[in-house]
Amino acid sequence: MKDRIPVLGLFFGVFLGAGTGYSAQELAGGASAALDGRTLRVLCLELLGRPPLPEEWERWLGRARSEFLAATIGSKAFWEHWYEEQLYYFLLINNFRPAQDRQIAIPADLAAQRCSVREALHRIALSSSFDLRNPGADTFVTVVLEQIAGLDITRSQRELEIGKRVYDGASGVFLGTQGASQADVVRNAVMSRSSVQHFLRREYERLLHVKPDAAALPVWIARLEKEPLAYGELLREWCTSPAFDARVARGETLENRAFVRALFVDLAGRLPRFEEAEPMREALDALADSTPLRSLSARMLLDSGKLALPKKQELANREAWVRERYLRLLGRAPTAEQLADALALLEAPEGRLETLLYALVSSPEYNRS
Amino acid sequence: MSLDRREFLKWSAAAGAAASLSGYLSAQQKPGAQKAAKRKTEHLVLIAFAGGVRTRETFGTPANVPVMVSMAEEGVLFPRARTANLGHFGAALSIFTGNAEQRGIRENVRGKDVTLFEYLRKDLGWGPNEAWIATSGGAQQVNYAYGLHPEYGPQYGANTLDGEGIFNREFKQLIETWGRPREMPPREKELLQRVRRGLAGDAATQGAEQVERFLLEELTRGTSDLTGANASDAKALRVARNLLTLFRPRLTAVVLQDADIAHGNYNGYLEVVRRNDAAIGELLEAVRQNPQLNGRTSFLIVPEFGRDSDLNSRRGLDHGDGSDDLRFVTCLGWGPDFRRGSVVQEEVGVVDVAPTVCELFGAKARFARGKRLPGLFA
Repeated sequence: MKDRIPVLGLFFGVFLGAGTGYSAQELAGGASAALDGRTLRVLCLELLGRPPLPEEWERWLGRARSEFLAATIGSKAFWEHWYEEQLYYFLLINNFRPAQDRQIAIPADLAAQRCSVREALHRIALSSSFDLRNPGADTFVTVVLEQIAGLDITRSQRELEIGKRVYDGASGVFLGTQGASQADVVRNAVMSRSSVQHFLRREYERLLHVKPDAAALPVWIARLEKEPLAYGELLREWCTSPAFDARVARGETLENRAFVRALFVDLAGRLPRFEEAEPMREALDALADSTPLRSLSARMLLDSGKLALPKKQELANREAWVRERYLRLLGRAPTAEQLADALALLEAPEGRLETLLYALVSSPEYNRS
Repeated sequence: MSLDRREFLKWSAAAGAAASLSGYLSAQQKPGAQKAAKRKTEHLVLIAFAGGVRTRETFGTPANVPVMVSMAEEGVLFPRARTANLGHFGAALSIFTGNAEQRGIRENVRGKDVTLFEYLRKDLGWGPNEAWIATSGGAQQVNYAYGLHPEYGPQYGANTLDGEGIFNREFKQLIETWGRPREMPPREKELLQRVRRGLAGDAATQGAEQVERFLLEELTRGTSDLTGANASDAKALRVARNLLTLFRPRLTAVVLQDADIAHGNYNGYLEVVRRNDAAIGELLEAVRQNPQLNGRTSFLIVPEFGRDSDLNSRRGLDHGDGSDDLRFVTCLGWGPDFRRGSVVQEEVGVVDVAPTVCELFGAKARFARGKRLPGLFA
C-alpha cells in the first residue's frame, strides 16, 4: 500500500491542482507526505474539532495525508463538527441552539450528500432558533446581510431598508431577486453570489487562519456554484497546500471549544458528552483570557479520580510513556532536557502522572496547536 | 486547593493591596501618563446599561429606577447623550473605545480601536488585576477586553468575565461532580514548575494563578443560582460587586444585556430595568459599606442606545426607527469628584465616556473621537 501512496498523491494533486492557485506539484507534495504527529494533530483539530483518538494515532501516523483526508472529509464526524462550527459562527449556542429535527439532520444529510453546504446554511437560517436569536426586522435583516451575504451594513443601507420591508411582508427586490416574506429574505441572501464568496472566505480563514489568495477565490466560487457538492474537494486542496503546511508550522491558538474536546480526548481518551462539553465551553468563553480557567478545569479533571490513568508504579517503561504523552499532547518528541525533567518528576515520590499531564495541558504550547 | 473564606479574604486583600501599590508605583514612572488633577476617585464602576434602554423607562419614569434617581440627585445627569444604532455589540464597544464602532451584530471578533482599559493599563502601568469587565451577553462580549491596535492589545486588556457564561448552573454541577482540586504539596509544585520551565521558559504565571483562585471561590458561591428576568445581568452585577470588594480594582466595568428582551416583551423589559436598578443599588451599598471604597469610588452609568418610539406588532420594542428615543440616552455620573445635583442639557455622546474615564485617572485616550464630558467634574 505504501508503495502506491506517491502515485495516488500525484494523481490527487494533478486532478485537484487545475486552476486552484496551487501548482499540481505543490498539492501532490502535501498530499503524499507521511503524516507526522503535529500535522495529524492539527488536521484532526481543524477538521474534526478534536485531537486524534487513541485508535486514530495507531491508524494514521506515518501514512499519507491524502489517505487521511479521503477518509475524513465527508465523514459523519467531519460534518458534525462543521455543523457545530456554523452554529457557533451564527452564535446559535446555549438557549439558541436549534432543536428541530430538520436542523439536527443536517450533518447526516451532508454526509449522505442529500444536501449541499449552501442548502445546509439555508436550513440553519430558516430555523426558529435563528429567528429568536435575531429578533425584529432590523436585527434579522442586518444579520442576514452581514453573516450570510457578507455585506458591510454601512454600505448596504438601501438593501437593509428593502429587506426590512420584505421581512414585514411587502414586495420588493432584495439582493437582486423579488421577495415578499421573511423566508424570502433568507433565500435571496443564501442564493446570492456574495454569500458563496463570503462562505468560502470565512471557511478558509477558519481552517488556515489566513486570508485566501485573491486570485484563487474566484476560481473556488465558480467551482462551488457549478458543483454544489464540491466543497469537500476544495477542502482537500486547502489541507494539502503550502498554506496549510505553514499553518501547521506556525501554530494557532486553540479555540475554547476545541480545547474542551482536546482535554477530554487527551486525558480521558474519549470525547466529552454534550453536557460536559457545553457548560465548560460556555464558561471558558466567558473570559477574555481563558488561561486560568483552562488550567483550573484541567486540574479538576485530573484530580477527579475519574480518569483511567495507569499507576505510576506499574509503568513498565516510564520513558516510553513520557515520549508517548509528548507526541499525543504536543505532537512532537520531548527534548533531552524535557525528558529528563519529566523522568525526574516521575522518579520523585511526590511526582504523579497527573502532575506531568497537568504541566503539559496547561502549557502555552498545548494551547497553541 | 482548599482555601477557607477567611484565608481567601486575607489573601485577596493582600493581593489587592500589592496590585494597587505596584500600579501606583508604576504610574509614577510612566512618561505617557497625564499630569492628572488631584482626584479623590481611586476606583470607578462603569456600567453599560445596555441591551437598548430608553430614557422613558428610566429617568422618564422615576419609580422604575429609584436607585439611579437617588444617585442622580447626588451626581450629574446628561439626558442628551447621543448614540449610534450600530447593533448592541458595536454600540456598547463605542462606550469603551470613544469611537463609533461599526461591528456586525453577531461579529465575534475584536475591534480595531483602543479600549479605555488599554489606555489606562499602558499609560498608568496598571497591573493585570486593576481593570476588570463583567459582562452578561455571552461569548461575543469578551471582545470588549481589548482591541487590535498594534501599539496596545492583549497585554493591556481587562480581565473579562461573563457572569452568565462562567456561572452557568451546568458548569457548577460539573465542578461539583469532579470535586475541588487537591492542594499541591510544595515539593510536587517544585517538580511541576521545573517541567513548566522546560516547556515554556520563565513566563510569569502569578497573575493567572490569582485569577484561578478567585474563579474557584466564585464558582462555589451562589452566583450560579441567580434567576429571574435579569438573571444574566444580575450575575454580571454580582460578579462586579465581588470583584470590587475583594480585588478593589481601579476600574470595574459591567455590560448588561437582558433589556433586549424588549423585542418581544415590553413588560419583561420593564422588569429587567427595575431589577437592574435594584442590583446597582446593592453594588452601591457594598461600596458604601466598605471603608476602603467609600468616598473613593465613582460610578458612570450609560445605555449603549435606546429603543424605538412605538411598539412593534408583537407589542415589543425594536431598535431601528432612528427616533430620538433610540438615538439619545441618559448618562449618569456619581462620585466624589463629580458635581452634585446637576443636569447638563448640552448634547454629549456615549463616545465621551472613554476619554472622560481616562482623564479621571490621568491617562489620555489619544485615538478616541469623543471628548471629556462637559460639566461633570466639580
